[in-house]
Amino acid sequence: MKAFRSILAFLVALSLPSDVRAADVVKIAVTGPFSGGSAPMGISMRDGAKLAVSQINRRGGILVGGKKMQIEVIERDDEGKNDRGALIAQEISSMNDVSAVIGTVNTGVAVMGDKYYVQKGIVKIITPAAGSASMTQWSRAGAADLPIFRFAAHDGIQSRMVVEQAVKLGIRKVAIFHDDTNYGVSGRDDLLFQVRNQAGRLSVVDIEKFAVGNKDMTGQLIKARMAGAQAILIWGIGPELAAVASGKKKLGYNVPLIGGWTLSMSNFIDTAGPAGNGALMPQTFIEDLSVARAKPFIMAYRQAYRVARIPSPVSAAQGYDATLLLAEAIHEAGSTQPSKIKAALENLTGVVKGAIADWKKPWSKWSPANEESHEAFRRAFTVMGKVQNGRVVLADPADRAVLERGPGK
Amino acid sequence: MNPELLAYAQMAVSGGLMGMAYALVAYGFQLTFAAGKAVNFGQGELVMLGAFIGLTLTGTGLPYWASISGAVAAGAALGWFVEKSAVRLALKQHNEGWILLTIILGLFAVSAAENIWGREDLPYPAPWDDGSIDIFGISVTWPELAVAGGALGVMLLVEIAKRYTMTGIAVQAVSADPDAAELCGIRSDAATSLSWAVSGAAAAFAGTIIAPVTTVGPTMAAALTLKAFSVAVVAGLDSAIGLVLTGIFLGSAENLAGFMLGSGWRETPGLVLLMLALALRPQGIFGKTIIRKV
Repeated sequence: MKAFRSILAFLVALSLPSDVRAADVVKIAVTGPFSGGSAPMGISMRDGAKLAVSQINRRGGILVGGKKMQIEVIERDDEGKNDRGALIAQEISSMNDVSAVIGTVNTGVAVMGDKYYVQKGIVKIITPAAGSASMTQWSRAGAADLPIFRFAAHDGIQSRMVVEQAVKLGIRKVAIFHDDTNYGVSGRDDLLFQVRNQAGRLSVVDIEKFAVGNKDMTGQLIKARMAGAQAILIWGIGPELAAVASGKKKLGYNVPLIGGWTLSMSNFIDTAGPAGNGALMPQTFIEDLSVARAKPFIMAYRQAYRVARIPSPVSAAQGYDATLLLAEAIHEAGSTQPSKIKAALENLTGVVKGAIADWKKPWSKWSPANEESHEAFRRAFTVMGKVQNGRVVLADPADRAVLERGPGK
Repeated sequence: MNPELLAYAQMAVSGGLMGMAYALVAYGFQLTFAAGKAVNFGQGELVMLGAFIGLTLTGTGLPYWASISGAVAAGAALGWFVEKSAVRLALKQHNEGWILLTIILGLFAVSAAENIWGREDLPYPAPWDDGSIDIFGISVTWPELAVAGGALGVMLLVEIAKRYTMTGIAVQAVSADPDAAELCGIRSDAATSLSWAVSGAAAAFAGTIIAPVTTVGPTMAAALTLKAFSVAVVAGLDSAIGLVLTGIFLGSAENLAGFMLGSGWRETPGLVLLMLALALRPQGIFGKTIIRKV
């Protein structure tokens, strides 16, 4: 009996430290497409987030209620597919120890999957998916309370910048090209809305749709040219954007290509080659070592993942900053409970120094009448980027001030 | 020329050039069907593997032509392997198991490619200029011309070999009557294996010439097998010229349908053509009705 008791005591002692360790861990999930056409964005976002996690863990973790807690990351690849995204959201929301989710690149995945997080009240920071529908679905549903936050320059902002850029270039007639996904269709609607806001300064002479996987855009481009379009405004992802750029070059149809931030994806830049030069897109971050604020992040990323160029710099920087903001919220909440983290995200008091900006209270209390309450980015934070010989550079050098100062909010 | 007409001409020419790729893949069907009365339903996957192998070899610094030769050799080996592993036994037992088995090998190939090379669509560098040339107002790119030229070249080469070399004549003999050929001292198994190897090589070569236009990815050939099969059925399984003409026609028709009716309708001409051919001329437009004497 004595021997049994001592063995029992030993076993209890053995099991205790691991229990204590389990309680010392904050679990967050990072989800996105780590394979397929959207992979450059998904991988960069994930790696940016994990870079922030490793930096925080190296400093001992997040201080939660007087106790340092390490962050543990759960990764899931949704392949950019709506149905897989929904399954993953179901899986994660049924784990009882996940405090928050960061990720989603494809608007359709957010539309199909986020309802599971909302039902369970799990906090999610959407980044870098920009499609308007990810947030408007909740205002339209009149959700009184929402644990979903966005950390990306949404398409409302982006489409406005794209249309304004066309006007700035002196263009009167444009063609709108979009893919047939949730992202492409909602982008088309945003563009049409912004063109109407220009009160006749710009007219849409042609609208062309294309399927994901389509590699020959000759037909759509010929129609745009016949309609007299002086620029192409485009919403799609890398491989198809590249097909449009190559088709333009083939036909000798040299008009500006202006579109969503996806024109900065490495699989657009690499596949289009010289045909992609000059493409214009809104950016929240530029991989430029001469920007003092951005340099430490760029260097750390390149060193950690042994790359000479970040596949999607915007996604990487947003994944990084979103993780820092989440860590700050967990610290301020003093708890790993999703409901408390949500309240803390809505009322952040500390300033978070990120790769993009010094963030001051980026979100506020959710109001279904105003999605902006859960949107972190504003028009003033975003700059126009331009593809130049395999990289994205500032389209307008005067915008450097925006990147340096950092908007914060 | 009137811009509207020019647009139609442009679409037809672009489509026709890419249609030659359908013809080349369909030619692979024709080769194996002649020799053993079976086709590889994973032919599109051989096209994809050929492109990936070519890309990998180019990545090691080999010159373009050497990497293409490597891909073609690998394609031949794969074609030979498909026949040995999936087709031979089924045919010997006079059952149709080869249909399912070749589809299964194709699915394996996709999974293998995803694991080895990833799911991304990758650009395929080609040595020719990536600009375009202007012919009477119609733009044609060098990679497109390479598809057409390469497809025609390979088919011509194989057709000449079939007619004027001893081996080619032996293969034809086996395709006419394997038993009689055996009696003449031809090893019909070897002739069948050779046809499958050549068919695999043609598929791999098709991959290396299509990829600079379409990029390389595990699913690049998903639709290709079906389209090439339509071409083979519509043209008939014994005329190479018929394949070329049908391929050009189908490619142009697809492009024009997409242009006139919207891009969602691109795939319809192939299917309509297939249904019409099956209903009206099951032996194929360029096919011969074979009367078997008993």
